[in-house]
Amino acid sequence: MRRRQFLLAAAAAPKTVMVVAADARWLECCAGLVARQLAAGLRGLLVRVGDDRLEGWNMPPEQAAWRNRLEAEAAAKVLGLAEVVSFGYPASELRNVPHTTLRDRLLTLIRRHRPAVLVIPNPHTEHDRNLDSYYAGAAAEDAWHAARFANYLPALALEPYVTPEVYYYAPPVDPRRREPEAAAAFVPQPVQVDISPWFAQKLAAARELKTVNRARAERLRERLAAAGQRLPLLATVDDAAAARLAEENLRGLAALGAEGSNYALAEEFRYAGVEYGIPAKYLR
Amino acid sequence: MCKWLLWMAVAAAATGQPLPLGELPRGKVVLIAQPHHDDHTTDYGMGGFIARLIENGYRGVYIRASNDEKDGRNGYAQNDIINLREARAGLRHLGVDEVVSLNWRNDFMNPIPLNELREQLIFLIRKYKPDVVLGHNPWEHYQKNPDHRNVGRALVEAYWMAGDRNVHPEHFALGVTPHAARHFYGKGRLDWGLGQQSNVAIALNETQQRKKELAIAAHRNVYHNPGAKKAYLAALAGEGKALPELAAVDDNTASDLILHWWMNWISRDIGRRAGVKYAEDYYHLDRWDDLPGLRNYLQRNAR
Repeated sequence: MRRRQFLLAAAAAPKTVMVVAADARWLECCAGLVARQLAAGLRGLLVRVGDDRLEGWNMPPEQAAWRNRLEAEAAAKVLGLAEVVSFGYPASELRNVPHTTLRDRLLTLIRRHRPAVLVIPNPHTEHDRNLDSYYAGAAAEDAWHAARFANYLPALALEPYVTPEVYYYAPPVDPRRREPEAAAAFVPQPVQVDISPWFAQKLAAARELKTVNRARAERLRERLAAAGQRLPLLATVDDAAAARLAEENLRGLAALGAEGSNYALAEEFRYAGVEYGIPAKYLR
Repeated sequence: MCKWLLWMAVAAAATGQPLPLGELPRGKVVLIAQPHHDDHTTDYGMGGFIARLIENGYRGVYIRASNDEKDGRNGYAQNDIINLREARAGLRHLGVDEVVSLNWRNDFMNPIPLNELREQLIFLIRKYKPDVVLGHNPWEHYQKNPDHRNVGRALVEAYWMAGDRNVHPEHFALGVTPHAARHFYGKGRLDWGLGQQSNVAIALNETQQRKKELAIAAHRNVYHNPGAKKAYLAALAGEGKALPELAAVDDNTASDLILHWWMNWISRDIGRRAGVKYAEDYYHLDRWDDLPGLRNYLQRNAR
């Protein structure tokens, strides 16, 4: 019965891609995939869970949060996303948000927008020291699962819904990220996605994150200085140098993502498609 | 170098190749943050590496996050006091003189406000300015002890956040400054599920191994077990076996001997995987682990 519901829902899925982000790092990890999906005709929705208030330099956290919200919206526009929802939880404190609160907010959005594709932080990745991604990812994964069951939030009067495709993203810090899972079904598998044609768009979107880029450049300059090192690019940290550093970062990540493939530039994910919910032997 | 180590470790895990041996990181201060009094030296830790760092000029600081009230046979308060005293004694064998006790309630660390513990660790990192941070690997599989999991989580966050001046700027009025430690070494248990997948081994010499054995034996409140000799010999006799070396010593000496054997076996077992006599294994994060996209660029251009 559940399998039949799944197939019906998949067939009827409207074409929306919904991205869940703990923080500004989402753009590094999955903006190429999102641009690719939008180019294929999907409508895009970005959900910012944290407020990026720590991603500023010489400014109060409230100001950083506000700037980063506006700049995230500008970046989303460059990519072609139609809507940005910002939950506004303080960055680095997502652990304090009750899991079910976050899950139910995401579940509500899933049922409202009925996305064909979900792109969420991977809560199962290892060695990513920023644990906001873990908490946002765990809630998003739970929301994906729970949105299909009528007994969750019946008061919403929104139809249960199964998103047929889910991409889990993470920065490439887990050495086991390319290892396939033990089972062919019911666990997401590693996949590399060619983003070469969309890389310029990803780069243009990243340039909109001026406050994030500047904070990262300043922080890096400070870290190098503490070790008695310097980076010629950051001799003077301005928006141009920060944007150049962001570009180097994105190029480095895309090259890492493409390792072992025939792609020039790629992003890597764990992917749960139709084969995730239905073992291949039934998919004839 | 570190990327090389990482891929070596992946290949080692996949092919059964030896663990790569890590070089001793350069620096002056090592901060070890663990939940319990004895976590500096057990089956999953770290005494040999600490001893090696201290022998090479490091100063060590040990953070005991819990109060260890459950560990031992004396009531809660007395266990706390005895275990702290024995932590100091054990750490002295390794060359560490400073122990900071945060006194969170032992084995009740799931419901604690973890951001508060994280802030304490951020402050201590800023105060002591370690080059190397040692602690529990929070990504270890099947870790059942909530103290280990949660202190590990708070510590890896504190490790990167302590260097960010936007994090707890109120600390700076107390005279500390942002500080980014360059290395984190995480440890996992060997005996639970998959434990952790290590990416580096640290070789130990005979002296460091000996210090490790002495450090664990200092924790008499939890490890000293004079009844162990009779129990082991009886069990062996039931299988038609004998252990003359254990039978020849008194009960107290036998208890210590068993601890020495335990530590010796673990170091030899990991040493075998690394091609040396004694070693400990870790998951090592270096200072650019959080910037995988910039690692090559920084290696080429940072001077």
